[in-house]
Amino acid sequence: MQYELRYRVLEPRRQTYQNVIDRLGDQPASRYLEATLDVEPTENFHYRPTWAQDRELYDERFSALRLTDPYSYTDPRQYYYTPYVTQRAALHDEFGKTLGYLEARDLLAKLPEAWHTVLTSVVVPLRHYESGAQLVSVSGARFAYGTSLEQCCTFAAFDRIGNAQMLSRAGIAAGGGTAEALKEAKRQWLDGEHLQPLRRLTEEIMVVEDWAEGLLAVDLVDSLVYPLLYQHLDETALLGGAGAYSLVAQHLATWYADQRKWLDALLTCWASDPERGEDNRTALTRIAATWADRARDAVASLTEAIDQALPQAASTTVLGDLADAHATAWTKITGGAA
Amino acid sequence: MSVPTKKAASKPARKLPLKERYALLTRDLDWEPGYVDREQLFPHTRYEGIKIHDWDGWQDPFRLTVDAYYKYQVEKDKRLYAVLDGFAQSQGHLSLSDASYLNAIKLFIQGVTPLEYAAHRHFAYLARHLEGPAPRFAALCQSVDELRHCQTQIHTISNYNKYYGGFHSWSKMHDRVWYLSVPKSLFDDAMTAGPFEFLISISFSFEYLLTNLLFVPFMSGASFNGDMPTMSFGFSAQSDESRHMTLGLEAIKFLLEQDEGNVPIIQDWIDKWFWRAYRMSALVAGMMDYMLPKPVMSWREAFELYFEEQMLGGLFPDLEYYGIQPPRHVNDAIAEKDHLSHQVYKILHNFSFAAAFTTKTPDEAHMAWLAEQYPDSFDQVYRPVWEKHRKIEADGGRVFFQGLPQLCQVCQVPMAFTEPGNSAQISFRRSTFRDETFHTCSDGCQWIFEREPEKYVQAWLPVHQIYRGNCGGPTVPDVLAWYGIQEGDNGEYTGSPDQLAWAAWHSDGDDKAV
Ligand SMILES: [Fe+2]
Ligand SMILES: [Fe+2]
Ligand SMILES: [Zn+2]
Repeated sequence: MQYELRYRVLEPRRQTYQNVIDRLGDQPASRYLEATLDVEPTENFHYRPTWAQDRELYDERFSALRLTDPYSYTDPRQYYYTPYVTQRAALHDEFGKTLGYLEARDLLAKLPEAWHTVLTSVVVPLRHYESGAQLVSVSGARFAYGTSLEQCCTFAAFDRIGNAQMLSRAGIAAGGGTAEALKEAKRQWLDGEHLQPLRRLTEEIMVVEDWAEGLLAVDLVDSLVYPLLYQHLDETALLGGAGAYSLVAQHLATWYADQRKWLDALLTCWASDPERGEDNRTALTRIAATWADRARDAVASLTEAIDQALPQAASTTVLGDLADAHATAWTKITGGAA
Repeated sequence: MSVPTKKAASKPARKLPLKERYALLTRDLDWEPGYVDREQLFPHTRYEGIKIHDWDGWQDPFRLTVDAYYKYQVEKDKRLYAVLDGFAQSQGHLSLSDASYLNAIKLFIQGVTPLEYAAHRHFAYLARHLEGPAPRFAALCQSVDELRHCQTQIHTISNYNKYYGGFHSWSKMHDRVWYLSVPKSLFDDAMTAGPFEFLISISFSFEYLLTNLLFVPFMSGASFNGDMPTMSFGFSAQSDESRHMTLGLEAIKFLLEQDEGNVPIIQDWIDKWFWRAYRMSALVAGMMDYMLPKPVMSWREAFELYFEEQMLGGLFPDLEYYGIQPPRHVNDAIAEKDHLSHQVYKILHNFSFAAAFTTKTPDEAHMAWLAEQYPDSFDQVYRPVWEKHRKIEADGGRVFFQGLPQLCQVCQVPMAFTEPGNSAQISFRRSTFRDETFHTCSDGCQWIFEREPEKYVQAWLPVHQIYRGNCGGPTVPDVLAWYGIQEGDNGEYTGSPDQLAWAAWHSDGDDKAV
């Protein structure tokens, strides 16, 4: 049956869901907002978790970092499922093309020896670090309070497996299409002296109870590792005849720029919360005091290894600059509560 | 420090076997912790009594790398959102079978969409807390999928929400409204259990054993009633769901194979979760038989095909090899298949003044269909009930039950089910715990209660909460306001805002067409 009135405009009774109307007024709302605001249950939980008997199923007390209204935080990227997978499909498609190009010419296996060493003994082993970061991020996917925040953690957790797979595929290519380089990378992660500080740190972050503290501890490592390995070394590689390394690194740098967006917005939101801001700044300061130096030491052990193979990269010097700049930025956010 | 400088000899690239490559890209990312204790890293995997000797024994039920996942999912979402946009632009809602069909979709967004979200969150818990890297990764994929389902459902229904009542406050309602505590308490039950019980309850019982009775009926109802968006969503979710089903099957096989001591624990969980999920499916049964203007298949027929034939006839004989029996109380479910949907819809019909959907007495044609589907019960027991309502309504009346029903302490459905084999006798069970009496609706719910009374006494029972004054106030309007129910969302369909708007939109159309 066809109805003639289809071309007519029917007057909608409301423009969006009531919870969105309550927050923003009765006007058309984005798909991001409809799929995010107030989705997490807030009350009348039936039973207490057997695995945390003094908590509710969703409970802001899973972290010291809290917001008066969890939806005062929204993802600046406005990712819900579809835009998220769309962005990442593009990232991995680009990476796949790069890798196909490199594999067809065996360019990673044929890297200059020093670069090959850095790739296989420093960079590829970090696929395990990514895996650890995944475990930490997915804890936020479960325990963060509010859909806007846990959703970012969910995507970040899935990203980490994606990053680990990018590094692993680079490792397979560096091993001439075999598992050899991955096996060696794992041996290095487990026993290589230069990787042990980072491995220890990763494991200790993985057992941190407060999911947000874990996430930030990882971020303290990320904010050294990513600029160093995927930006600074990228530039050095271009100058040093290791274009193949640069081609791989660019995709991880692209991911990191995206990751920074939601985390920086979150840090600001926590620190400037009208009621919880002061407690949050204290917690942030404590977290930095606990983890920042350890992150720096762990990454320093990597830069020493890099410097040994590639002295022209001056990685340790660059690390110092990065760590100082980061400490300054962090102090700004916490209002110098340190 | 020692960095090896040996370099892989460049030889022509060999292709790694697919299985090995997948393992390298997933489970091989894991490593044995050396600086912290394994038990500190995975503190939740021992207290349920399940023993795992070798996490590597987990067979990956599907092999999907992250890049392939993104690629498939983007394609599916492109197609789905194109349908949603087209439907909205062309006022597609006007070609539904009838506006009353949307009552099924109201039940869906209020009752099912929040479960997708709960699954999303708690598969993330498994992705954190299971010890094996392979099942952790499978759980992570499912967590992300379930977020997709929740969000695509919100978007699918967003357009209906603009023109019809009852959709607008689905998430608040799920936390507060009486009939929604049935699905909510079920998922709360699963999530508050340990990781292995959650796996059996949701991955196995929910996603595998009963998915064709809990989820699929909404999708087939959509396709029969002109609901393109919901139907497209259902198709689009199908490939995700088939991954979830294989995960459920692998999970149960893996746990059973790991240790003989696991078998009785898992049998108990199957017994519990079959009955728990089956009781929730009662709401779906009522929807299937009474809410669809164009019904697809009766509850009875679906139960026989999807449960008795496929599960009892197909799956359980396979599980027998491991020493697993069909669920305890399964015969009670079989015995009441001629009655379940009618008894549930009677409750909804009686109490819809306090619901965020409307109900109506089935008309003659609908009753003829029901009589055909239920030759042993409809004319004998239920037709007289509906005829009585029709008479009252013909005189301008409408019966609603005054007062509040008693709820089962476990399934939280009002106590209106009858004894197996005696449809005149309400089934009512009593248990005592810490000197207090608790009521359950069936042997199944009583057995579940008595296994874990300390858990079920915690239940947030909506009726108790109203009596305690926790639901907005003492009067019906107070409670409805607190529920977020808006004028006309509830009660009788005929004369409701949805029905009136539908009639007006269509009579205008007819005028133009003339
Ligand atoms: Fe789902
Ligand atoms: Fe599912
Ligand atoms: Zn019950």
